[in-house]
Amino acid sequence: MSIVTVQGNASGTGTLTIASPNTDSNYTLNLPAATGTVMVSGNMPAFSAYASAAQSVANNTYTILNANIELFDTASCYNNTGSTVGGIPAYSFLPSVAGYYQVNAAWYSATPSGQISSSIFKNGVAYQLIASSFSSVGQVLGVNCLVYLNGSSDYIGFYIYQGQGSTYATLASRPDLYYFAASMVRGA
Amino acid sequence: MMTLYEKIKALYPSLQDADFMDTIRLQNDSDGKGDYIAKWEHPTLPKPTEEQLA
Repeated sequence: MSIVTVQGNASGTGTLTIASPNTDSNYTLNLPAATGTVMVSGNMPAFSAYASAAQSVANNTYTILNANIELFDTASCYNNTGSTVGGIPAYSFLPSVAGYYQVNAAWYSATPSGQISSSIFKNGVAYQLIASSFSSVGQVLGVNCLVYLNGSSDYIGFYIYQGQGSTYATLASRPDLYYFAASMVRGA
Repeated sequence: MMTLYEKIKALYPSLQDADFMDTIRLQNDSDGKGDYIAKWEHPTLPKPTEEQLA
């Protein structure tokens, strides 16, 4: 028979409690034959934010989306301001737990010419990008990716790009058209 | 007031839009510092100096 060992931490003073739900039925939690860290809601950062105001995007310039309204930010790892806060750059996500994160972002463009792009930047450098030709009737250009973040210094931002030949202004008050979200899907 | 892109385009009219998605990257982090050249890897044209862009 294999053995189950519960081991305390020699330097800690807190108490770890494994609590049972209020039930009269029997249940079994099966553990995999693998080494790793158990992920629970408290160590799986997630956030979702959108831009509430119009934003000017200079021609041919990758510009971070000013997603200033948070729908949720479970671990306070997203900075929804235009200044660095707690080491997190403006409008960026710097999670405090190392792992793999699913990222979803999109913006709406109705430029009459040129290319448009949606890009996830990691540590200020393009990580994954999608581009499309203009559409004067408008289009939502989304980007989705998986990215590893080290939980201490890695951060990501959502950059939008347009090449219509002049500065383009995004729409205001459209949370459904300008958003940036990420959630841990696997620990390191 | 000219944008950074317009200043660079005035300096190097031969640059194409595709250059700005490939060998040149202009960036704005919305941190109050404005547009800046994040990458300049153009094969023939040198990166503009601060004086040229002033």
